[in-house]
Amino acid sequence: MQHTLLAVSAPPFWHCGRTIWKSNMTFLLALLPAVVMAGINWGIPALRVMALSVSTAVAAEALGTRLTGRPLRVDNFDAALIGLLFSFMLPSAAPWWLVMFGSAICILIGKIAFGGLGASPLCPPVVGWAALFISWPLLMDPNTAELSTSFIDPLVRLKYFGMTAVQDMNWTDLLLGRQIGGLGASQTAALLMGGLFLCARGVIRWEIPCNFLIGVAATAAAFHLARPELYASPLFHLLTGTTLFGAFFLATCMSCSPNREIPMILYGLAGGVLVVLIRNLGMYADGVPFAILLINLLMPQLEMIRPKPFGGR
Amino acid sequence: MPGTLWKEFSKGLWKELPPFRLVLGLCPVLAVTKSASTGLGMGMAVIFVLALSNMIISLVRNMIPQKVRIACFIVISASLVVAVELLMQAYAYPLYQSLGIFVPLIVVNCIILGRAEAFAGKNPVLPSLADGLGMGLGYTLSLTFLGAVRELFGAGTLFGAPVMPSAFEPFAFMVEAPGAFVCLGLILASMNYLNAHMARRRGEEEPENPRSGCMACGACSRANSPAQQ
Repeated sequence: MQHTLLAVSAPPFWHCGRTIWKSNMTFLLALLPAVVMAGINWGIPALRVMALSVSTAVAAEALGTRLTGRPLRVDNFDAALIGLLFSFMLPSAAPWWLVMFGSAICILIGKIAFGGLGASPLCPPVVGWAALFISWPLLMDPNTAELSTSFIDPLVRLKYFGMTAVQDMNWTDLLLGRQIGGLGASQTAALLMGGLFLCARGVIRWEIPCNFLIGVAATAAAFHLARPELYASPLFHLLTGTTLFGAFFLATCMSCSPNREIPMILYGLAGGVLVVLIRNLGMYADGVPFAILLINLLMPQLEMIRPKPFGGR
Repeated sequence: MPGTLWKEFSKGLWKELPPFRLVLGLCPVLAVTKSASTGLGMGMAVIFVLALSNMIISLVRNMIPQKVRIACFIVISASLVVAVELLMQAYAYPLYQSLGIFVPLIVVNCIILGRAEAFAGKNPVLPSLADGLGMGLGYTLSLTFLGAVRELFGAGTLFGAPVMPSAFEPFAFMVEAPGAFVCLGLILASMNYLNAHMARRRGEEEPENPRSGCMACGACSRANSPAQQ
């Protein structure tokens, strides 16, 4: 008794009380409005995709921790969060095997293969999305997968029919998620609410999403001012596709984003610039997931920008 | 004597398997394994070049001046590669077309130079030939295996013959470049796991990473430095 009383453990001695469980629950809470909006806009099929993805992710996490001989920690909701984030980028008409396979790839290749929680160099949901998008582009492209809808896909229109086809976009429709896109990623207003909530709670740092959006807006504005008849306005790029979802929920992935101010600002800006470059000059309609994979790879280099220690040379 | 020959031959099949244990010659491993048949063809070309270059270099090893030995090794392997290239153009033109630039690139393949430098330059003819054949065979088997896995999941076929049920949607990721990297990583991981598991069952200590296979390549000065031995 006396012994433990006098023992001094290593610092830090004060803990802010934030745990992985709490941070993941805040994330899930922030995604709740988008889940509801996805249910309203896409109906039961969207709920089916989300439920299937989350349950597969949890099962894959259990399997992966078993194989690698680590303690089973699905109760911190990390696998569930990855599964939900992944399902947000799928079309609601995705077949069951596509959802399950992609969700398992997110966990097994994106997370477990690199050493589990906090060790993944690439945002796990985007890893699964990229593997599926390269393999089955027709099933993964919401525009070709969602045939029974009256919504339109603004990015595909812009890509293949030019500016005239997107002249009369209804901004309210875009905000309320009445556009073709990933089932949750296109719920713009709901995601914006959730993202601001996360920033306010301090679960994610505002520098990354803010600079990501600034990067998108500035690059889009430069293109738009140079050739207004060819390139869409900054607001269009901010409200369509996966931009807001990527900025708030994917680019801020804990283990694959930098944690100092200057690196965070550069990381966000680079992502935003890449998004518009891929959309305007590349072959893909929506460049957000690819931009996020690329900036994840930039992270170790950006992390080398560090303050000089006091008294150091 | 047959015992030593067998030892030199068989070490290329598992203990020092070129792409997966020595991690040498990765460029064709990643680039030409879209199907099992191109992997097999590439492996055959490497067997031919590796066995003959090992044999010739071992024959002339005492005549080669120490200071320009790398250049001499390259001259020998380049002549053999040109021979392979011409033979392929004559008798296996579709294979030649699907392998493309990777046939001429066998000249600078690390395995050829590595075996010449590490083994053939120091050993007599027969062990060198056995070493070249074993390494070449191991390389061929690895390439064919990787090609078969990628073809099976990426296209649903095996050596061009459909084997998957008709409901199978090809996982095209596997025949693209990222699929090659992911497959290679998974194979390396599972081989390390298997080796550690076997060592544990034999009651030995688990081998460290990077293991002694790195030294076995012998292509760099680390292998001869006393600190590493």
